[in-house]
Amino acid sequence: MRPLTEEESKAVFAKLANYIGKNIVHLIDRQDEPHCFRLQKDRVFYVSESSMRLAISVARPNLVSLGTCFGKFTKSGKFKLHITALDYLAQYAKYKVWIKPNGEMPFLYGNHVLKAHLGRITEDTPEHQGVVVFSMNDIPLGFGVTARSTVDTRKLDPTAIIVFHQADVGEYLRDEETLF
Amino acid sequence: MDVSDILAAHEAKQKAVTVEKEIPLEVDTGFLTVTDLNPVDAESYEANLEEYLMSTARDGVQTLIASLFSLPTTSSPDGPLAQLPAPTTQLPRAKPLPKPKPLTKWEKFARAKGIQKKRREKKVWDEEKQEWVDRWGWKGANKKEETQWLTEVPANADVDYDAAKVARDARKARVAKNEKQRQQNLARAAQAQGPSAAPAPVEIRKKQIDRTLAVTRTSTASMGKFDRTLEGEKKLKGVKRKFEPTIMPAESEKSHNLAILAKLDKEPAAKKSKKSTPSSGGSDVLNVRKAIRTASKGKGSAALAREGSSSKGSKGKKGKR
Repeated sequence: MRPLTEEESKAVFAKLANYIGKNIVHLIDRQDEPHCFRLQKDRVFYVSESSMRLAISVARPNLVSLGTCFGKFTKSGKFKLHITALDYLAQYAKYKVWIKPNGEMPFLYGNHVLKAHLGRITEDTPEHQGVVVFSMNDIPLGFGVTARSTVDTRKLDPTAIIVFHQADVGEYLRDEETLF
Repeated sequence: MDVSDILAAHEAKQKAVTVEKEIPLEVDTGFLTVTDLNPVDAESYEANLEEYLMSTARDGVQTLIASLFSLPTTSSPDGPLAQLPAPTTQLPRAKPLPKPKPLTKWEKFARAKGIQKKRREKKVWDEEKQEWVDRWGWKGANKKEETQWLTEVPANADVDYDAAKVARDARKARVAKNEKQRQQNLARAAQAQGPSAAPAPVEIRKKQIDRTLAVTRTSTASMGKFDRTLEGEKKLKGVKRKFEPTIMPAESEKSHNLAILAKLDKEPAAKKSKKSTPSSGGSDVLNVRKAIRTASKGKGSAALAREGSSSKGSKGKKGKR
């Protein structure tokens, strides 16, 4: 376990900013308890300072997880968000997409969101913008990237992809071995 | 009807609420721990181990629960809540104690003579300026002789006597002497720690030569890639990565992260200004794109600009007439 270097922090913040914009400040500068980002075996964890202090007494090979896993660094140094970060992303999301009940299951099996399944979308979402996907009764299901801006979606046919799938809560079952 | 017998029988079944032991149990309510310091009763331990362990554990838990119920409670929707007091048990520290720093020559001397360390104020009073000035550093009081506009010249001084230069040289010499003494103190401390801890001068020189050699090996046009290698030449080792300590003060880490965030905010802004597309820009407060769409009734910024210029032009003509 170690703190992130400057390049790593930049990669993490840039990725998070894609979904929650300037709300990252709320993650760093928290009122209740100081939280920090720590790297352990390529994985980035968002953890309260007190638990981090407890975790330093665990040897690196023995430490499996701490706090909330936000994602992992690939071998080429890119940062990939994991579904476990959804709690924070959903809380601070700037752009949101709601999908209809009949579109929930296809999305939870790892498919992209089609226009036919689109319930609502935040007005004025640009193209290739990170969005959090919700069910109609406001339960966060995952996140992805918009394929078209809100304006362009109007002209599309119902089978066109609106949001490219990145992660969904179905991964808790599908990728149980590798997720944590 | 006499119920005293029944009551007595019932009481015998219920065990005592208060636990009495030869050595009273130590309770740390903060950690929810009870320590039983009484020696093990060998007889009952041999006779029935399970029962003995049960009774010891029961006494401990009884004492703990009694101490919990003695705490002040506050009511809550889930029932009464008690705030645990701070733990009293001292846990061992995680890291070893820091080693005392080796004494400098002066500190050793001062200790032998019983000289107390006096704290020297960093500021001194300047009578002429009528204000506190730094003892040393920028505009420090130790540079007063060099900067004063009038200096006394000794009677037997040379023609080219420069009072400011003499004072400056004396000050520089004092600094150099102090640095020399500091180095000597370091060397002495390293020697006192043992010959293994202190690298010999030869070793230091060796390291320096190695470093110089490493620099020269990568200082060719091909960064040393196509150079002829000598026999027994080792492969160059890269620089080891260094990371921040795992525990940092929360405040410093926060400010560090916020600084990185501020840097990130600047970068996309610079890119945007290069493109200088009015429709894509905009701050958090005003959604420029939306505003343009509303104002132009969905026709876009180009239509809005045309409209604005045409109306202006017509107005201007009217004014001329």
